[in-house]
Amino acid sequence: MSEMMADNENGRIGGELLSVDNITLRFGGVKALTDISFNINKGEIRSIIGPNGAGKSSMLNVINGFYKPQEGTIRFKGKNVNMKPDLAAKSGIARTFQNIALFKGMSTLDNIMTGRMLKMKAGFLSQAIYWGRAQKEELENRAFVEEIIDFLEIQSIRKTPVGRLPYGLQKRVELARALAMEPELLLLDEPMAGMNLEEKEDMSRYIIDVNEYFGTTIALIEHDMGVVMDLSDRVVVLDYGCKLADGSPDEVSSNQAVIDAYLGVAH
Amino acid sequence: MSTQTETNDTFPKLLRYNARVRAERPAMREKDLGIWQSWSWAEVYEEVSDYAAGLYALGLRAGDKIAIIGDNRPRLYWTLTAAQVIGAVPVPTYADSVAEEIQFVLDHAEAKFAMAEDQEQVDKLIDQKDHLPGLEVILFDDSRGLRDYNQSFLWNYEAVLEKGREFRTQNPEFIERCIDGRTGSDVCIMLYTSGTTGQPKGVVHTHDSVLITARNAAELEGLNERDEVLAYLPMAWVGDNIFSFGQSYAAGFCVSCPESSDTVLNDLWELGPTYYFAPPRIFENLLTTVMIRMEDAGKLKQRMFHYFMDHAKKVGVDILDGRSVGLMDRIKYGLGELLVYGPLKNALGLSRVRLGYTAGEAIGPEIFEFYRSIGINLKQLYGSTEAAVFITIQPNGGIKPDTVGVPAPDVEIKLSDRGEVLFTGPGVFKEYYKNPESTADTKTDDNWVMTGDAGFFDDEGQLKIIDRAKDVGQLNDGTLFAPKYIENKLKFFPNIKEVVAFGHERDYCAAFINIDLEAVGNWAERNGIAYASYQELASLPQVYEQIQAHVEETNRQLSTEERVAGSQIKRFLLLHKMLDADDGELTRTSKVRRRYIAEKYDVLIEALYSDKKNCRIETEVTYEDGRKGKLAADLEIRDAKTVAIGAGAAAQAAE
Amino acid sequence: MEALNALFVTPFVEIFDAPWFFMEVLTGGLMAGVMYSLVALGFVLIFKASGVFNFAQGVMVLFAALNFVGLMDAGVPMILAGIITIAIMVAVAFAIERFVLRPLVNQEHIILFMATIGVAYFLEGVGEMIWGTDVRPLNVGIPDDVFFVGDAMIQQSDLFAAVVAGFLVVVLALFFHYTRTGRALRAVADDHQAALSIGIPLNHIWVIVWSVAGFVALVTGIMWGSKLGVQFSLSVIALKALPVLILGGFTSIPGAIVGGLIIGAGEKVAEVYWGGFFGGAIEEWFAYILALAFLFFRPQGLFGEKIIERV
Repeated sequence: MSEMMADNENGRIGGELLSVDNITLRFGGVKALTDISFNINKGEIRSIIGPNGAGKSSMLNVINGFYKPQEGTIRFKGKNVNMKPDLAAKSGIARTFQNIALFKGMSTLDNIMTGRMLKMKAGFLSQAIYWGRAQKEELENRAFVEEIIDFLEIQSIRKTPVGRLPYGLQKRVELARALAMEPELLLLDEPMAGMNLEEKEDMSRYIIDVNEYFGTTIALIEHDMGVVMDLSDRVVVLDYGCKLADGSPDEVSSNQAVIDAYLGVAH
Repeated sequence: MSTQTETNDTFPKLLRYNARVRAERPAMREKDLGIWQSWSWAEVYEEVSDYAAGLYALGLRAGDKIAIIGDNRPRLYWTLTAAQVIGAVPVPTYADSVAEEIQFVLDHAEAKFAMAEDQEQVDKLIDQKDHLPGLEVILFDDSRGLRDYNQSFLWNYEAVLEKGREFRTQNPEFIERCIDGRTGSDVCIMLYTSGTTGQPKGVVHTHDSVLITARNAAELEGLNERDEVLAYLPMAWVGDNIFSFGQSYAAGFCVSCPESSDTVLNDLWELGPTYYFAPPRIFENLLTTVMIRMEDAGKLKQRMFHYFMDHAKKVGVDILDGRSVGLMDRIKYGLGELLVYGPLKNALGLSRVRLGYTAGEAIGPEIFEFYRSIGINLKQLYGSTEAAVFITIQPNGGIKPDTVGVPAPDVEIKLSDRGEVLFTGPGVFKEYYKNPESTADTKTDDNWVMTGDAGFFDDEGQLKIIDRAKDVGQLNDGTLFAPKYIENKLKFFPNIKEVVAFGHERDYCAAFINIDLEAVGNWAERNGIAYASYQELASLPQVYEQIQAHVEETNRQLSTEERVAGSQIKRFLLLHKMLDADDGELTRTSKVRRRYIAEKYDVLIEALYSDKKNCRIETEVTYEDGRKGKLAADLEIRDAKTVAIGAGAAAQAAE
Repeated sequence: MEALNALFVTPFVEIFDAPWFFMEVLTGGLMAGVMYSLVALGFVLIFKASGVFNFAQGVMVLFAALNFVGLMDAGVPMILAGIITIAIMVAVAFAIERFVLRPLVNQEHIILFMATIGVAYFLEGVGEMIWGTDVRPLNVGIPDDVFFVGDAMIQQSDLFAAVVAGFLVVVLALFFHYTRTGRALRAVADDHQAALSIGIPLNHIWVIVWSVAGFVALVTGIMWGSKLGVQFSLSVIALKALPVLILGGFTSIPGAIVGGLIIGAGEKVAEVYWGGFFGGAIEEWFAYILALAFLFFRPQGLFGEKIIERV
């Protein structure tokens, strides 16, 4: 907690960016989420953890608009939102997927460029008429994308079709595409799933770097406790769709309910 | 003006000269954010001047050392010259060294300044700063991730330039005065060699030794300002200092830095260098990639590839060396160039290479010939840090794969009684820094340097290196025994992975052999031969047959070479396990640990020097997960045919 | 023996005896193939972007042509008729997105396929209701003289159709590769989820794709209509696109083009040289046999993506 205070004083963490209020989500008769509330502050790294099937991904999908909750509201930047995924993207929420959703047929560069789609103004007609202006816009966006490529150290795969890349690199390209959107809130769905230790360490470093360098607020889902505790400012713990605990990593890991439900369980 | 060249006896003077005579030509390039940026000689001169002034303003003085840590980056290269302008001595170190290794070098060199590429290197330096009381200033190139570092000894490169510009406006004559005040006999650079034993030694070179050697070789090979080089090998290595720095200044060509160490192949392809150096391992890897890609290609493509490669094997080298070749063969080769060699060279990024060098270790003759046969003028050279690289170079038109060529310009070579190679010439180093004993051990009073390598001249006056001098022994009858020479000959067969030869103070030469699991395994699969383990594969009679043929072929080759003809392999066996670093049999860099192996397998050695047909052995092995186990085997020992020495010598004489 | 002769010898002898005639047959076939290609193109566009196998593509050709010719018969100038028809097709696209695709989102492919059958009957019905079932000749001023290359006779209208089709393909390729919308379309075709997450609105994309398919249908309808007259059998001929798709792959635009040409040329040549042996009219089924045979060797089609089943 004291660390967080220090960060607050440094001005890294600001006011509330997103708040989740009393969300309940059902699939048919099955409750995936029950009355979940928490918030995410500007500039922080916020983790949602829990055992498999705890409802973490559902939570992310609700924030991002892939699922529509039956009850409760989501407020983003102070406004009530009930959005579709594409609108979420427009309002500044980018995300990655647990199973990686990249455009497999395109190169790394083209994939990341698609992240700039919303930033490019030139439409179909104006592109045809004002060729020069569209070219200029393209170049500016390309320059931005190159910064990200440099940042994530993926220069060597710029032209490689992503379908041919190993898993760990695909994850990095997906992160790059999300960053290209210059999001205010970045949702990472198990960014380290299926990675070896070295890749996990790399990814952790990138997440921290992104947070520091771009000041991006990050919400991430993980079931690997260790990784999360080192990264996060605050942690929400879910189990069977209910919120179990919410607080700093220290608080959460010393919470008896969490220990019983999660840490005590051998995986 | 004609005396200009004469007086350009230091690198800063040469830079000033280049900035005048080829001001607008590119001197340096770097790929940054996906785009090749370039700097002309005039721009480099201006930047280096500001940089040098900035370093001076920060307190760097003549004789001080400045360490350089990082990958090949323009600003790191400029640090070399900027330091030299004020008479300070640059000390490049290996970027992948761990903090402790860096600490040793910086401490030993008494580095006062250090130029680090990025956060990673800065972190290492800060980590060791407490153990480096002499280190006053750390500069860095890439500021990413360093925003929150507020130590007062940390300086951003740009801030140094800024300081330098200020300093120069107050002292406009400063740079010129500095440059004119130095001469060729001043110390130019210190390069630490990562010797196989003991601590690294700092090899001190003067401007004269680096510059004259670089210029000599550049003139010999006709390098000029239109050549292109990609700088991708470690800056701390003497080769890079000559190829990417010394010769660039001497011949005026442009040096390009890759975007990152992962993109080298792609950058190579985009840039198309004309002058290219790579250790044998890289040529080997490139060839393997080509072969694997061909395996995946369509039938027609494969057939075409093999057809034209066979033709290249037949006439390619002769065409390259300008020997006479029939018209039909030339036309066929031309067609091959169009269909196979050209596209292949292009894919490898080597289509513009006029001159390629390889050195450091022996290159397999097949690999060497492959590149030469498709028209790449690849040559081997023999060199050392103490020589500022060039000792011998293979002469154009007279290249023999198993020699390292003739002495480089102005270099003289002689052999000691024990067969050790000694050289002298302009490139001889000044001394080992703070290590007069080693200097005295290596360099004689009349400037001859002992290389520690054993070798001999063949009848055309080309030098052949056979082994480290200390590893060369004698058979009981006094015949020279050079284990590595024999082992390398065997290891060039793709089926053979590792060899340990014995013979010192024995009656004859014998060997342990490890087969190459991949190559032999492939062969077994193709022929429907089942095997469950390395041990089983290595004990198959068919495999023994193949290896025996290789051994006998090697014996035939040895018999033609007077000095080693007596050390043919009489008996050999195939080991039941791969020699492994985990079992202490190899070093971590995959070098054979002879003494340890000799002790561990003394039973087998005794059997090799008896007339037994087989021998039982039990060995402890370490599995990948760290468990230990016992491996028992009954190994077959075979006799190999040897060629009578007289016959070999006679055959050679007849040729 | 005689049968073998008729199958494997005589046709080839005929081909070599009269090469110009063969050329003529071949060009005729290729030109018909262009038409198939255009219909297949419409299929591919929709299949790529939404994964829907659009059974209604053939009817869309008919429907577009009906509206166009109907408007022209009613005295509307040609250009205006074209614009109005495009507007109608865009409206159809909107309606399909709103009333068919949106309610059925995330349903099985087969259900969407069934829905497009419904759309086909609906459009056919509406067309019949408004414009009746008569065959209407269409004349948009396409030259229909013939000219000779060597001894081969070539219809100018065929050539014109080929040029128009080629032009259309080039425009579409440019659209797909160089415009923002085109890129969005490709993104959607590649991965829906990813496309959504970078802010591409799927619904808009569907409307755009169906509109483009409608536009392609109109061009096809005009070409075909001016050749054969606008009639309801058009929608049946359009089903020839199926073997074309099997041949070319469901996701490949160049595949649709090449597949169409192969089918067109193949069936004409087969009809002329082998038709007699089978008692004629093999044109009707030859394309399907060809496609079946092809399915056997290369299930993903000529240019289709390799099918990798996840187990």
